[in-house]
Order: sequence, then C-alpha cells, then structure tokens
Amino acid sequence: MDRRSAIRNLAFVMGSAALLPYCTPGKPTAHFTHFDVNLDQQNLVADLAETIIPKTTSPGARDLELDKFVWLMVDDCAKKDEQEAFFKGLGEFNDLVKKSYNKNFSDCTKDEKATLLNTFEKKPSQKNLTPTDEKYSKELRGFYGTVHWLTVFGYTESKYFMTREIVWELVPGRYNAYFPVKNLKAAKNG
Amino acid sequence: MANLNIDSAKERTYDAIVIGSGISGGWAAKELTDKGLKVIMLERGRDVKHIKDYPTTNMYPWEFKHKGQIPQDIQDANPVVSRCYAFREDAQHFFVKDQEHPYVQTKPFDWIRGYQVGGKSLLWARQTQRWSNFDFEGPARDGFAVDWPIRYKDIDPWYSHVEKFAGISGNKDGLAELPDGEFLPGFPLNAVEDYFSKHVKGHYKNRYVISARCAHLSKPNQIHIDQGRVQCQNRNLCQRGCPFGGYFSSNASTIPWALKSGNLTLRPYSVVESIIYDDKKGEATGVRIVDTNTKQTEEYYAKIIFVNAACLNTNLILLNSKSSRFPNGLGNDSGVLGKYVAFHNYSAHIGAEVEGFEEWATDGRNPAGGGYIPRFRNVFKQETDFLRGYACGLGAYRGYKHEGEGFGENFKAGLSSKEYGPWYVGSHMMGETIPKASNFVALDAAKKDAWGMPLLDISVDYDDNDQKMQKDYVEQLTEMFTSAGFKNIKAETNHQAPGLDIHEMGGVRMGNDPKTSMLNKWNQLHACKNVFVTDGSSMTSTSCQNPSLTYMALTARAVDNAVSELKKGNI
Repeated sequence: MDRRSAIRNLAFVMGSAALLPYCTPGKPTAHFTHFDVNLDQQNLVADLAETIIPKTTSPGARDLELDKFVWLMVDDCAKKDEQEAFFKGLGEFNDLVKKSYNKNFSDCTKDEKATLLNTFEKKPSQKNLTPTDEKYSKELRGFYGTVHWLTVFGYTESKYFMTREIVWELVPGRYNAYFPVKNLKAAKNG
Repeated sequence: MANLNIDSAKERTYDAIVIGSGISGGWAAKELTDKGLKVIMLERGRDVKHIKDYPTTNMYPWEFKHKGQIPQDIQDANPVVSRCYAFREDAQHFFVKDQEHPYVQTKPFDWIRGYQVGGKSLLWARQTQRWSNFDFEGPARDGFAVDWPIRYKDIDPWYSHVEKFAGISGNKDGLAELPDGEFLPGFPLNAVEDYFSKHVKGHYKNRYVISARCAHLSKPNQIHIDQGRVQCQNRNLCQRGCPFGGYFSSNASTIPWALKSGNLTLRPYSVVESIIYDDKKGEATGVRIVDTNTKQTEEYYAKIIFVNAACLNTNLILLNSKSSRFPNGLGNDSGVLGKYVAFHNYSAHIGAEVEGFEEWATDGRNPAGGGYIPRFRNVFKQETDFLRGYACGLGAYRGYKHEGEGFGENFKAGLSSKEYGPWYVGSHMMGETIPKASNFVALDAAKKDAWGMPLLDISVDYDDNDQKMQKDYVEQLTEMFTSAGFKNIKAETNHQAPGLDIHEMGGVRMGNDPKTSMLNKWNQLHACKNVFVTDGSSMTSTSCQNPSLTYMALTARAVDNAVSELKKGNI
C-alpha cells in the first residue's frame, strides 16, 4: 500500500516536472522505483505513444496519459533484464532517429515519424526504409514493441475506450449463445 | 482458579468442531448446525464476509493500477502462486503468497492455497460434474490404489442433496459416465460448440460434447433466495467474490446459512496445530490451535471433529497429531497417511481456427465456460496402453477484428471496430492420475513456520501413465478437430508442476481395510471413530471430473451418519 501510493506520488512528480522550465534535458527528472527517467526519455515515449494513438476527434495517447502508463508498467511489471533492454533499445531508437533525420523524434514531421515507425511493423508500407529483423537489434525492436503494446493495452483498457468506444459491461445479465451478427450491425446503424 | 478453568473449558466445548471453512468445511458446518449441533468452525485465515469483504467486486478494468497484471516484485517473491491463472490484480488478496507460507518441494509442486473464511470456494472454477460408478469402481476394476468403500448408488442421493442447495446449472444428458443431477437450466453451447457437439456425436461412438455443468444460479429456486442469493448476472468476475451470490461459495451460501441457525461460532485466525487424542477414552477430545495474531495456543473440545482443512493441510494436521497411541499421526496404524496423493493432469491443450459461422456471435458472457467432453477412454473396458482417461474442456469464441500492428489514425480507429473476426476453438485436458505410495507428503524434520507448525514436504510427480495419456489427448483431439474441419490446429503440452491443477487429492484415503486405508465408507477414521475427513484428502482415486461437488456430497453424507451414530451413542 505504501509503495503504491509512493509510486503514485512519483508519477505525479513526473507529470509536473515536465512543466518546470528549469528542468534541463538530460537531467533525471522522474524517479521510479527501479530507474530514473530524464526529460528526453519522457518526451520520446510520449511522442511515440502519441504517434501510435494520435489525438483525432477523440482523445490521443497524451490526453489519456498513456505514456505514464507505459513507464508505470515498465517500472512495476517488467523484469530487471527487460528494463535494461528497454533503456538500451530507447537509446538505439534515439540514435536511429538522429542518423535518419539528424534531429530528435519530437522534432520530426508526421511523415518522418510514420516512415520510421513503418520500419518496425511486420507489414511495412512501400515507403519503408529497411527491413526490420536483420537491421535492428533485439533491444531496439523490443523497445518499440513494448511501447506499442503498452500504449495499445493502456488505450483499449482506458476508461475512455471502455465507456465510449467498445463499452465494457460490469453486469451483462445475459448470455445469448446464438447472437445473430446482423443484429449488431442493425444496432449500430439504428 | 480451578473453577475458572473448568468454566473456560466449558466455554470452549461444542458438539462439533469443523476445521476449515472452504467448500467442504462450509458444508460440514451447514449440515451439522441444521441438525441442531453447536459447532465451532476454525479457520486459519481472516474472515471474509459475503459482499462486504469483496473489495474489487465492482471495479472496472481501468480502475486496476496495472490493468490486472501482477507487479514483477510480487511475482519474483511468489513464483508458485504467480503461475495460477486466477492470481491477478483483482483477486490476489484471496491467494496465499508463497513467501508468507513456505513449504518444502522435494519435487516441484505448485501448491495454490486460499487462507481465509471461504477458502478456495471463492476462487474455484465452479465446474460441477458428478462422478459415476465407472469412477468408484475404477481402482478395483483396473487394479490400482484400493477399492473405494462406496459405489455411485451410495453417493447419488447426496449429490442431489447438495446440488439442490448449491444450485447447479446443467442439462440432462443421459450419460452413464457423467450422471445427471438436480439441475437448474444449463447454459447453452454457442454456434461452433454446438456444431462440434453434433459432429462428434455423429462421428464417434461414446463421445459427447455437452454444456459444462457449473455451480451458478441460472434460475434460482426459493432455497437459493432464502440464502440471500439471486440469479447469476453473467459477470464472469467470480474470483473477486460475487455480490449477487450468483455462484456457490461457502461465503455466499453455507456459512451465512449456518450462522443464521444460531448454532455456529466462527473463529478465524486459528491455525490448528493438532487434534488431541485421549488414550484413556480412546477417542479425540478436541483440537489445539495457535491464534495467528497472539501466537497463543488454545484448546477446543467436542464430541465429533470434521477435518476439512483442504487436502494437503488436512494431511499436515493429521501427521502432526501425534500421541502415544498414534506416534505417526492420528489414525495412522496403516502407515498410509500422507501417501497416495494424486492430482489431475492438465498438461496439454489444443487450439484451432474455425471457418464459417460468420452469421453467429455471442452476446453477454457464459459462466459455464462452454462445453465439456466427458471421459471417453477406457470407460466401459480397458482399450488403450494407459489406465483411465481424461475429460476435456471445450470452448469456442470470436471477438472483434483488430489489427495488432500499425499506428496512427486508421490503426486507432480500427481498434474501435465492431466487425467480428474469425472463430477460434480450444480445449484443455483434465486427466485422472494414479495414486501411488511414492507420491506423498511428509513433515519436514526441522523447518517450522511462523506458528510453529512443521513445514509440509511435498513429493509428488507425473508418471508414464500421465505421459501416455497426454499423448493420447493430443492425438484424439487433433483427430476430432481435423474431422470437424477446424484449421491450423495447434496442440501444446506443458511441463506445469502437479498442484497447479488445484485438484490435489488423497493422503487420507477411504477404503474397506484399515490395514491399507485411513477412512471407512463414512469418511470416519478407522482407528478414531469421532474424527471425520471429508475434503480432497479422503479421495481413494481422482476420477477426471472436477472434484468439489463430490467433496460436498461426501461431507453431507458423512455428517448424516455421524450425527445418527452420535444420537445412538456409538460415538
């Protein structure tokens, strides 16, 4: 209990730290249980999450604080070696962005970000730079994969998603074993 | 002072003591108090009051900090319980943490425990299939363990007795190998499960896919309303405790019922150290407990004692109940106490994709989980190179079609798609295992827990029969899935340790002969007539059906006999 509230406080500190002007990039700005995270690292994960789940007419990763969820899960639910690999992958991701575009991920255009992320997807678009599996290290692919699944997991399990997009019922009160699919379509259109 | 002690002893004297408050202990308390006996129920853990003590029961998924996942430091400290499918953020408070309650694994054994009022009845998977006469005559027919001292006809009325009260949903399927019971309406099979059921019936002799029978109130009767329970609301969040009492647990059903009679005293925080045997009287006089908060010992006395501490802890208590008459544990003249421990073989599962059935989906949730395939191997006669057989869980499902990969606006919109994806079908095996003297538990000679109890040393393993059965399950289900036209069939075997099935049984087995068994046909210790053992430890063999319903029925039957003997003055 104590530990949990401690983490919650830290998460709060992390959130507010981003607003403080005297926090220079590179300095540790958030202290987690198992590691510190500097502002650059926070921004990268936040931008990456936002690229995966962008704000549209509905909330995006930043609005839903999915980046905080990513850090929380890496801190609490990953093994030590997975955490080390995550940070190694994060560094390599930064290097890759710099090498490709000579700037930070946050400063990349939407197209540049998309082109880069496509290289990590198993079904890359035609615009892809390089085939993933040979070129990228396990840690680099792991970093992207971890941020991706935790962002998506955080999104699809968020209150917003489960009350507004696909409604999760606490008390269904029914089991219809033969549910005609056309009924769902009718309900959607009606 | 002396008078005070006498008064104090009097205050700690009851007609009956029930050790344990789980599924069988709850039944013992209910039946004993129904018959007017004053009962004290001793539970080693804390109290869990129905509804009030289900802190997560109405939480939404997003309210769990890690969205259900158990943090790594808890997993690292508690590797055994972390392997249990139900040990998640929503129910972790009902599980014993390995770290707090150590035991010795001479061979790997995942001992999953629930130390609280209600025990594992809060957490169980609620599958309630009767055992058949093929199960009770199994050891005698196939030449293993010892003969069961009872047959199906002996337990049949007691199955009915407990089913009516607990509330069991199911269909009358008319199968000798899985007798029908007193059912509330069954939960239906979905389109694919139903198709597979019809296919199997048409293509195989003596193989059936039925709706799984489960302890849920699909349509409650007055007796369930009287317990304060209402219809199951298909939440499928049962492991959190159900505010509707939609499934059977000691907490929702037997314990409040017994408390309402005014005849039950519930004492949580009471680890039973041993059962006290009086050499002169030639019977047990009570139990010695350690209060887990004060660590003080206390004694309670009664005419009869029901031991329902859950299989392995019942073994532990009896092994630790040493006296000059029973130097090797209470009632252990035969030397079989702690031996012939067995379990269920859950070491394989299979999955496949299903083409077609696009016009159907499901809506709401099925608490029964889907279908059940009763044992079809070696039922009527021996026909394979292994003994006994396995039952199978069977479930088909489809969800919304979501792209796992990608990013950006379209990807995000796709996550909200309500287009259905393909159907999948899956099954897992539940195999009978053969009890052997070499699968046993014993007291560790030196190590003790925080309450001074010797640690239990568990030495239980698979054998060749289990391996052959696993292979056969994979072959047969692959063939059945292939024959049904399922695609991309993938069978997987695992090396999960015994125990993770949470169906450990035996060690205090029933039998006709006191030289080779601990309990008689009334679950009464052969050598100490006022002590009854009616939990999983009493099982002579394991069948392949989920065992809890049988514990309930044996308990009610044993109480009926015990009270009748008590009234006759035979105890």
